[in-house]
Amino acid sequence: MDTPLIVLIVLTSVAVTSPLYGIIFGKKSLKYVQYLTTLSLLISLVLLISSTLSLTPQESTVPHLLRNDSLGSFFSLMVILVTLFVTITSFDYMKDNSNENIYYSLLLFTAIGMTMLSFAVDLLVIFVAWELMSLPTFILAGYNKRDKLSNEAAVKFFILGALSSGILLYGISLMFGITGSTNLDIISQSLPTVSADMLPFIIFSTISMLAGLGLKLSIVPFHMWIPDAYEGSPTTISALLSAATKKAGFAAAIRIFAVIFPIFSFDLALALSIVALVTMTVGNLAALTQKSITRMLAYSSIAQAGYLLIGLVVLPYSDLGLLGLLYHSFNHAILQASAFLAAALVRLKTSSSSLDSYNGLSKVMPITSFCLALSLLGLAGIPPLNGFWSKLVLFAAAVDGGYTWLALAGLVNSAISVAYYLLVIKRMYMDETSLKSIKEPFLFISILVFASVVIIVTGLLPNILYNISEDITLSFLSNNPV
Amino acid sequence: MMVDASFPLISVLIALPILAGLAIPLLFKNSQKYIIHYAVIVALIELAITFYSYGLILTNGSGGEYNFVEGPVTILGNFGIDYLVGMDGLSGPLVLITSILTLLVLFGSRDLIEDRKVLYYSMIFIFEGSIMGVFTQLNMILFYVFWDVVLIPMFLFIGIWGGPRKRYAAMKFFLFTFVGSIFMLLAFILIYFNVTPHSFNIPEVAGKIPLSLQVISSVLFFIGFGVKLPVVPFHTWLPDAHVEAPAPISVFLAGLLLKMGGYGFLRFNIGLLPEASAQYAWIFILVGIITMFYGAIVAIVQTDIKKMIALTSVNHMGFVMVGAFTGTVFGISGSIFQMFAHAAAVGIMFMLSGYLHEATGTRNITVIKGLKFTSPRLATLLILGSMAAMCIPIFSSFISEYMVILGAIQVNPIYALIVAVPAITVGYFLWMLRRVVMSDLKPGTKKWDLSNISTIALVLYLVPLVLTLIAPWLILDVANPISTFYAALVSGGAA
Repeated sequence: MDTPLIVLIVLTSVAVTSPLYGIIFGKKSLKYVQYLTTLSLLISLVLLISSTLSLTPQESTVPHLLRNDSLGSFFSLMVILVTLFVTITSFDYMKDNSNENIYYSLLLFTAIGMTMLSFAVDLLVIFVAWELMSLPTFILAGYNKRDKLSNEAAVKFFILGALSSGILLYGISLMFGITGSTNLDIISQSLPTVSADMLPFIIFSTISMLAGLGLKLSIVPFHMWIPDAYEGSPTTISALLSAATKKAGFAAAIRIFAVIFPIFSFDLALALSIVALVTMTVGNLAALTQKSITRMLAYSSIAQAGYLLIGLVVLPYSDLGLLGLLYHSFNHAILQASAFLAAALVRLKTSSSSLDSYNGLSKVMPITSFCLALSLLGLAGIPPLNGFWSKLVLFAAAVDGGYTWLALAGLVNSAISVAYYLLVIKRMYMDETSLKSIKEPFLFISILVFASVVIIVTGLLPNILYNISEDITLSFLSNNPV
Repeated sequence: MMVDASFPLISVLIALPILAGLAIPLLFKNSQKYIIHYAVIVALIELAITFYSYGLILTNGSGGEYNFVEGPVTILGNFGIDYLVGMDGLSGPLVLITSILTLLVLFGSRDLIEDRKVLYYSMIFIFEGSIMGVFTQLNMILFYVFWDVVLIPMFLFIGIWGGPRKRYAAMKFFLFTFVGSIFMLLAFILIYFNVTPHSFNIPEVAGKIPLSLQVISSVLFFIGFGVKLPVVPFHTWLPDAHVEAPAPISVFLAGLLLKMGGYGFLRFNIGLLPEASAQYAWIFILVGIITMFYGAIVAIVQTDIKKMIALTSVNHMGFVMVGAFTGTVFGISGSIFQMFAHAAAVGIMFMLSGYLHEATGTRNITVIKGLKFTSPRLATLLILGSMAAMCIPIFSSFISEYMVILGAIQVNPIYALIVAVPAITVGYFLWMLRRVVMSDLKPGTKKWDLSNISTIALVLYLVPLVLTLIAPWLILDVANPISTFYAALVSGGAA
């Protein structure tokens, strides 16, 4: 079954038509749009789960453009799940905003872009998917058009996003010039045969692509826009940016680097390892000093990208690298989505995302506080939550791949990160509040609780996800020897 | 002969308190009237199981090997993370004291903890279960998991029910111990990749670790366990945590949490890295001696009785460290015994400091006067408790310190200078008693004394101490086989 195409069609059919319902049915249409969006995402989710579990690459109608393999399914499963969370929580969060129909339509367009990006094996398709994913998020980031911060976020995001697309496209065009193709399979065959004079161009093209992708992967030094964009956007959109678009970017990065690695693995791995080190250190140190939860989570998200990069660094040296990358991507997506959505709920109810508004929150919003605390502990890698196991695999992969210093750096960074995660928990559970009891909306809370259940269950029974990631890794590596 | 129970004994020891703890929010959501009864019953069941398992090891004399082994059950794929538990002569006494102290802490909490009881009692049991896990896990990663899970209840205990600077103390406690544990985790990962076949299971990696890695690992372990024990450069979290924690929680802190460090040193540094431990024993012993003297000398000048007791803990833990690294049977058995005895001896002192605060509204040694007139029961128990902490030979804490000193002298007569430490300890305790108990009464001081039940609960702390003085074999028959085994490992490493 050609899952990617079916998913794309299902999502597109809803995404394209839902703005029309507003014209046809007027105000009433919002409910239909919400249901339709949720339904289409649920259908996609079911399809993707089944295709993730079937490991052999399946037929694809457009084999040179989209590869229907379990790696792609796994990543698009993540992003669709996060989009689903964001959609359902937006029912409450975006209530009484203008043009709500379009909001859901744009969410779906982002999901389409991300899904396409997870499966894409042609550089041009990667670029198209990249744009399809980015353009709606620029609009979504600036959705509160009367809010100055939201506008600033959108403008900053758009300018840097456009720049990154340009750089990415430049890298792609160089690669096309070197190898004569944009298809990753053909590139991987012809790259080893190009003459040695071309090496500087390959390096330059790689750096350009890394810089282009890096902006979405939130790696230092391409991270400047992240805190502002996450703070200014509606917080549900921050969840989408941090937990979903970043993961789709990683899917593309894996496919591209798996092709380039065999050419000059040592230099590339070394360069990436330094980037990883800087990324996690900058992210964690900056997060320590933040006064607003969204900014703190933004920097934490940057730091987590540093951990994920470890997986990319040791890709050629240890199977555990890709395994850890996949495993941590999933866990991080759930944890980060849960943390951001909890922050969204607090912002909705207290209209503030300053850390001060979290003082004594456990007394007025007990369930939200618990879910937020749990996801923060998970992000910090406190066992037995899921974040611990995947970080463990990543650090072990670093040791296995000969990068013991990187594992040490990662561990020290985890220790630093505990400080700021814990500070929020301290505020929620140990400080005093003047707030009166707050009603927690049912649908929103059930999403948070569902995420918490996933965090706990995959933490207590880590084997499930580990095995899936391992199978995907082995099947991917057997088709793409690095 | 290794003992096997017909049912998963250790899993029950770990799971029963955790499940019982998780059930509390469901059972006592509306009325908390019977919460203490429920808690005591659970603790009693746990104690009964502990007695049963400890008794089996004792009567079979099988402390030298792992008993009641369960597993390995795979937790994480082919990555070597298995559920594997067992109890030997090192875990046995610690598991025993965990069960005993939990019960006694519950009695103490009855008087001293008023608010958010549901969370409190639920955390008590999660703490107990995780500590059981720490002492019985034979897989390094799961050991680490339980090690870190322990931090969360303790963080909440200090941060929610603590004194005026509770938030600072809770954060400091968590960060110190978590940072320490990170280095331990790195050592585990390094060990995993350097033994063939790759494994995280302690019995499988024992004896296979190359010397160079042993040296690196012992440095990493030193940071990890040293923070917990604590040894001197890493001890600064302890006085803060103790001063801010409520009295029953201080009992847990000193009685169980510090023991995790001692257990770690014995299990990992001695058991897994015997060669490195033999070669660099003098460094560890030196650190231990500095810790003892530091703890004792700084305790002299304290005016807060709780801080004084906390530093006494530091001083006593120095003995554990020295005993372990002597690598002699006396030393290792002594340090296991010391962990057991210290838990009870310092436990009663911390509880008394809590009651002292109830009675007089302060813990300042220079302010409290004439306790023998206002609170005769409290005063009597304070004297008895101090005697236990001073290691006077009517309590078994004497035997344990004596054994450690004996072991140290066996290795090098210079170490005899640690005899001075108990002398200092006696000095400051007597001085404290003279000021607090034996002084004249200030006019107008109100009378306040312990209730009957509290008195009995406090006397219960002294029972194991007296019992093991009369019959030290209760501990030593379990601890000696494993000490003999470890001593042989270390002397093999030295050769």
